[in-house]
Amino acid sequence: MSASPEIIELRKILAERFPQEKGNYLLTPTGWPPLDSILGGGLPKGSITQLIVPHISSGAAIVLHEIIKSMHEHSQSVALIDGKNSFEPATDYPLLLWIRCQNALQALKATDLVLRDSNLPFSILDFKQNSDTELRKIPGTVWYRFQRILEENKSTLLAITRSPLVSSAQINVALMHRLLIDDMTSLRSEIIKFFSLEIIRQRPHLDCQYA
Amino acid sequence: MPKLGMSCFTVIYIPFYFLQCAQQQRLLRAANSNNMSSQQLFFDISIEDSCPDWGFPLFAEKTFAEIPAALLDQDGVHVIELNPAAERAGIRPGVSTSQALARAPELDLYTRALPHEQHIQDALIQLAYRYSPFIENSAPGVCTLDVKKTRNRQAGLRKLLAQLRAIGLKAQAGTGPNPEIALQAAKIADPILEISHDCNLLQSLPLESLEPSPFLLAILKNWGVRTLGALAHLPRVEIGNRLGLEGLSLWDRAAGRSMKVLQFIQPSETFEESLDFEQGLETLEPLLFILRRFLERLSLRTESVYLLIAELHLTLTLETGEEIVRSLQIPAPTRDVDRLFGIAVQYLETLQTAAPITSLHLKIKPSKPHGHQFDLFQGKLRDPNRFFQTLARLAALVGAEQVGTPQQINTHRPDSVRIQMPEFDWSVKKIHRPKIGPGLRRYRPGIPANVELNNDKPVSVQSTLISGKILQVLGPWNLSGNWWDRTRWEIREWDVALENGGIYRLAQSLGQWEIVGVYD
Repeated sequence: MSASPEIIELRKILAERFPQEKGNYLLTPTGWPPLDSILGGGLPKGSITQLIVPHISSGAAIVLHEIIKSMHEHSQSVALIDGKNSFEPATDYPLLLWIRCQNALQALKATDLVLRDSNLPFSILDFKQNSDTELRKIPGTVWYRFQRILEENKSTLLAITRSPLVSSAQINVALMHRLLIDDMTSLRSEIIKFFSLEIIRQRPHLDCQYA
Repeated sequence: MPKLGMSCFTVIYIPFYFLQCAQQQRLLRAANSNNMSSQQLFFDISIEDSCPDWGFPLFAEKTFAEIPAALLDQDGVHVIELNPAAERAGIRPGVSTSQALARAPELDLYTRALPHEQHIQDALIQLAYRYSPFIENSAPGVCTLDVKKTRNRQAGLRKLLAQLRAIGLKAQAGTGPNPEIALQAAKIADPILEISHDCNLLQSLPLESLEPSPFLLAILKNWGVRTLGALAHLPRVEIGNRLGLEGLSLWDRAAGRSMKVLQFIQPSETFEESLDFEQGLETLEPLLFILRRFLERLSLRTESVYLLIAELHLTLTLETGEEIVRSLQIPAPTRDVDRLFGIAVQYLETLQTAAPITSLHLKIKPSKPHGHQFDLFQGKLRDPNRFFQTLARLAALVGAEQVGTPQQINTHRPDSVRIQMPEFDWSVKKIHRPKIGPGLRRYRPGIPANVELNNDKPVSVQSTLISGKILQVLGPWNLSGNWWDRTRWEIREWDVALENGGIYRLAQSLGQWEIVGVYD
């Protein structure tokens, strides 16, 4: 379906008025440059992006804090579904909805509710601390169901896991880094410089048309 | 038709008002006890000028119009109001119950529904207020409106009557140059009648339509005067000489010269509905059925005074006399019945009572509509009511203390976070966060560990989670607080790097060691 002339005209005006927003209507920028740049501007809307962090201390919490901070600075609310109630808020996050789950099953139910609600455009599901035993019990169909919901309401889900888990993920990004004890006294900006992000799988992009 | 600018009055008249109220209450109870489906009693609250008939009133009419029905006084001894079928059966107001039943064995007897009558009268005034701001609460079931400056009178009246039908009331409307003529027109309208000053229709009405005193009526009938026209043809002065002030007043009303001054009122801002159940309710479904009907009515009433619903105040009375009172805040005030119903259902589904419910009372707190401007690139909540419903579901899933916005407590004690209801203050732009070191992922609760020390420094750790030799150590970091009272605390923390590549935080408090988190 092609957009009406009025819509095209409106897009032109908006593109001139807000050049920084140009072309981002299919992406949700996280505001964290390393991740946005590797993904071409942000996380794809209407799909799941999986951030795989295999090592125990590898900087995933830094990524989490950076994304939440950036979303705040862009006045975007975020839902964090904390699979093992492990998030340590370092400060007040007035735009963060933190759901402290005790296990993976609870987290999946909470994710389902948050995605169906569709009020929050960006959600993070953090399974980094959940045991492999409970994660293995998650049926693959759950992820496809989430995918359908996301497609419908055009929101975005970032899943943080230790190993490939989300079968319906649009993009799998791996964070291969190991923190050292010397990093405890380093600036975060310095630590981040050594992060290496790598796309390990990307599905063909679905052309969604927005009127 | 009276022209715009000339004196013009409209009377909204609900025939057999008390009986209709009693019938409506019984209908709700019957629907409740018979487990009638919503479809059977469904009445649409959407208003269409061309289609004033809906399922609920039709159902009521089919059931009640053909069956003789009588309303009893509060003692239940005498009949005070009748429907046409009962009148046709020869029953007259004032007869005793046994006399009435003797004339019509199939007679349906009703008792007055006093609280319901008050709610219905409030609804009548509130709905009429939208049609004209100059209204008088003339009598139970009668409302007089000054419509001199009202445009599109016919369309407005049709809509008003349709709204009254939507709340289960069959009303009639009459328009005339003075309130008396308008009232007489309303009584014979079907359902709307506009008449002018010199209309012959009024003159053929019986004297009883003016409700004179029995004494005066008897005198006039003895004179052979039976209609308003016959009375108006008699000389006014002679009537005054013979029948006094009451006779003069009656003559003026019969001749359409009554100059009644309306006592304007503001509609009450009380919006409430209540129902006592004949049998205690033990299941949720019938309660929800009644609740939805109440919400539909209240939504319609608030709409008529341009308000929204900001709070639902539910009172459930149990058989034991105990009352369960609950106020349900509506995050974004609305009149959307589905949304309001959803919020109420969410509460009721979790409610367990010790005894059956014998009455339901619903009161709403209205609020004025607020403007809401969405920004282009700000992600404000599109549907706050839905969001807060989701929050309630999440709270039911993980616990109320586990969902919300984190806020730091003003203490140095580790893991001191308060969870608050999200307010989503979009004006916040800058947040302050630590700029040094990685983030911590906390184990809640901490994992008890055995730690081996060497020169007062940890060298190995053993726990259910991790065990092994400690390669590098940072610390200790000594923390303490509340030393001035009984909640005194003291913690020594160490950051340790283990053989597995993980960096953990160990804490020692009161001689016990714990792994409190992992750096990530």
